[in-house]
Amino acid sequence: MFKVDRRLLQNVDWLLLATALALVALGLVTLWSLSPGRHGSGAVWRQLSWLGLGLLALVAVASVDYRNLARAAPAFYVIGIGLLLSLYVFGRTVSGARRWLPLGPVTLQPAELFKLIFIVTLAWALTARWANPPARATLAAALSLLVVPFVLVVRQPDLGTALVLLPVFFALLFGAGVRLRELGWLGLAGLAGAPLAWLVLRDYQRERLLVFLDPFRDPLGSAYNVIQSKIAIGSGQLLGKGIAGATQSRLAFLPERHTDFIFAVFAEMWGFVGALLLLAAYAFLILRGFEIAGAAREPLGRLLALGVTALLGAQTLINMGMVMGLLPIVGIPLPLMSYGGSSLVVTLMALGLLLSVRMRQSL
Amino acid sequence: MALRGFGGGSGPRRDPFRRRLLILTVGTLTVFLVLLGQLWYLQVLEGARLRDLSERNRIRVRPAAAPRGILFDKNGLALVDNRPAFTLSLIPREMENRDTVLARLSVLLRIPLGELMESLARVPPDSFMPVRMRRGLTMEEVAKVEEWKLELPGVVVEVEPQRVYPSPRLGAHLLGYVREVSEEQMRQGRHRRGDMAGQSGLERLLDEYLRGRDGGEEIEVDASGRPVRVVRRQEPRPGAHVVTTLDRRIQEVVERAMGNHAGAVVVLDARSGDILALTSAPAFELDHFTGALGRAAWLRLVRDPQAPLLNRAIQSQYAPGSVFKIVVAAAALQEGTITPFDRLRCAPTFQLGTRTFKNWDDTDWGELDLYRAMVRSCNTYFYQLGLKVGLEPIARYARAFGLGAPTGVALAGEKAGLVPAPRSRSRAGDTVNVSIGQGPLLVTPLQVARMMGAVATGGILWKPRLVQRVEAADGRLLYSEPSQMSGYVDLSPAVWAFLQRSLWGVVNDGGTGAAARLPGIEVAGKTGTAQLITNSDARRGQDHAWFAAYAPAQDPQVVVVVLVERGGRGGQAAAPIARQILHGIFLERVAASALRG
Repeated sequence: MFKVDRRLLQNVDWLLLATALALVALGLVTLWSLSPGRHGSGAVWRQLSWLGLGLLALVAVASVDYRNLARAAPAFYVIGIGLLLSLYVFGRTVSGARRWLPLGPVTLQPAELFKLIFIVTLAWALTARWANPPARATLAAALSLLVVPFVLVVRQPDLGTALVLLPVFFALLFGAGVRLRELGWLGLAGLAGAPLAWLVLRDYQRERLLVFLDPFRDPLGSAYNVIQSKIAIGSGQLLGKGIAGATQSRLAFLPERHTDFIFAVFAEMWGFVGALLLLAAYAFLILRGFEIAGAAREPLGRLLALGVTALLGAQTLINMGMVMGLLPIVGIPLPLMSYGGSSLVVTLMALGLLLSVRMRQSL
Repeated sequence: MALRGFGGGSGPRRDPFRRRLLILTVGTLTVFLVLLGQLWYLQVLEGARLRDLSERNRIRVRPAAAPRGILFDKNGLALVDNRPAFTLSLIPREMENRDTVLARLSVLLRIPLGELMESLARVPPDSFMPVRMRRGLTMEEVAKVEEWKLELPGVVVEVEPQRVYPSPRLGAHLLGYVREVSEEQMRQGRHRRGDMAGQSGLERLLDEYLRGRDGGEEIEVDASGRPVRVVRRQEPRPGAHVVTTLDRRIQEVVERAMGNHAGAVVVLDARSGDILALTSAPAFELDHFTGALGRAAWLRLVRDPQAPLLNRAIQSQYAPGSVFKIVVAAAALQEGTITPFDRLRCAPTFQLGTRTFKNWDDTDWGELDLYRAMVRSCNTYFYQLGLKVGLEPIARYARAFGLGAPTGVALAGEKAGLVPAPRSRSRAGDTVNVSIGQGPLLVTPLQVARMMGAVATGGILWKPRLVQRVEAADGRLLYSEPSQMSGYVDLSPAVWAFLQRSLWGVVNDGGTGAAARLPGIEVAGKTGTAQLITNSDARRGQDHAWFAAYAPAQDPQVVVVVLVERGGRGGQAAAPIARQILHGIFLERVAASALRG
């Protein structure tokens, strides 16, 4: 299984890998600059060790043939759902949300891992009885694959992660050739279900949505985050304030600055010019992902690459949109840069999957 | 690879998957462009404004009031000082529930709610600058606020230097009161809201010097308001110190001597024109203004019929009464109208046409020379003398003695007094009245003191000096004022000698001012009784009582002028007060003479 094929190594997308690692490095520097000195470096070291683990996982995923992975998809899916359910028993509650599963010295966010499982399982389900456009039965199966984890994750509550499953789901269906009319119906059904979702939402989640509609509803309360985030980004102006001058970030006016709002920190420090380069790097990653999907020759590889790219793209765009005040605040980390082990490892695994598809495109 | 839709060929046109990928790519790029647009909007278009907001987030300004300069007397004793005082302030931005907090505060400290609302109404609600509500909190009030601290977010007690007075009325009119700047003063732009500024007396005149410069700190704080570091600090620069010409001991003596009388006292140094003491009674309490002077208390002060805010020594004008006889005598002698040897009748009444002018008593003193007439202050003598001299020369000499013009003392609102115009068409009746200091003639106590200084020194009219020098807190000299002559009364030495001898006689030779006589020190002076109403009766206390003196008679050191409003006769009401003051000034000499027996 781990026999190294020369052709595989020839097809490794080094540029993609380098861009991803550069973004991780930028994230580490930003993390370090938030609290330089011995006191703050703990987070950097922890993140570095997650990086090491993530790179191992990346290599592991890339070296396995994705077709073998897809064959094991049902098993993964069952394990994933099991992990999500186990949160209700063993889950550790942090600020009101049961998202973390304690595993010895570390904690795992099953929902993060499940995103990957979801992609593999859905790609498997869409290609197992291949037809283009897929049969109604396939669609129904895909929908049920979505609904169960979606409800489980929303109830944690982790609205952000649950919402990210939606663009992945639609992108895969779209890529699999589902008729636009059917997609449209699905979308409408989703919208019709939205009022139901309102009932499932926690109070603070509702408040966030309302605040998005009216930011000055509560400037020192729920809207504080987005106001401070806009101030941080804007005050960076064209060239940024540098590390020392980034008062919004360093004096903690910016909330969640290590995790979800790390883009605002970066934009405050390096200004429009820096943020532009960062945006370009992410755009490159995503376009490269689409290119890999397009270059793959068979449906499973295509859909896997597309799913991974959609996941990466959706997280990036939603995170930046909410940090810039264009979208409501739903806790979605910025892939590769935000502090957090599960997110980094899973993103690197996803990239491993992408690399795997690319490596095997000519086999 | 025989699956439909994934077959050979390349290019999106032939491969529906690639076509759909292209759509996704374009969609993704569009969203990126939207993000880029938002970045441009935030960082470039709105950048400056948001940068400003981020600065306001992190910087808090904490002002520190500069202590006002201290006023000293000539011997280095403090006339006013500063002490730390508690000020109740509100920080609008930190008041979570404004109405509740204000209501609680109002009940706790018994401050009318409307007053609190009004002070807050003029500042923006998101300001971090403390707004002063009430100064001079008592310890008890401070304790109450501290006790309820948790229920009163945004309410702070600041410690600021505040004026403190050795005794609340000492030199009230001279020193002047200090009060929060008015809206109008703020509009002139040199003050900030809540600043204290001198509003009268020396405090107002020297406000620029005394005020100093407020300092403060710009503090960087983190999101929870904890100070991180001081970005900029400017130490407050204390106000400059002022050395006045006052003698606190004499001022105290003067104020004690005045007791409950209304009126004014001026004590000048005859050798320099320095104002050693100056009082106006009734006085007001200086520290009333510094703390929380309520509206009611203010109105009471302003509407008081006794007008305690008026500085009678320079702002009230009175008829000089018989004190003016000095001027008439000087004019008569210098002009040669009369010699000390000529005699005139001092009858109980004087007849001018159909009008009868009375002396102040009913005795017929027979023929008197000028010396006796001065000593006895005989009115009927001076009616005749005045008519001989004429109104125009009398007015000329009055001006020469500094009457009818401000003395130039460094206090605001000084009145000029009134002397008949040089070539005014005079009626004999006016001349008769003016001869005894009545009629169209008005003087201030300070003018009289200056005039007495001229008699004492043989002609020197001093510009009354109140401020010797102003020194910065580090000792640098900022301003100094030498003692200045503002005029010279040119009379022959013989005339001066005569005037001086007759004023000595008023006190020491059986004259009207005998009540001012002191053992061990020879006092020279002149009594005066200023009629308020025609045919008023001094014995019923309707007239103003004057006594203008200098001492010692042979070597004049001080001039003392006492005016008692509605005191009655000068010799009875004012002279004893002058005596008490002179006693206080020359305590050692009086005591030494008592020891000698």
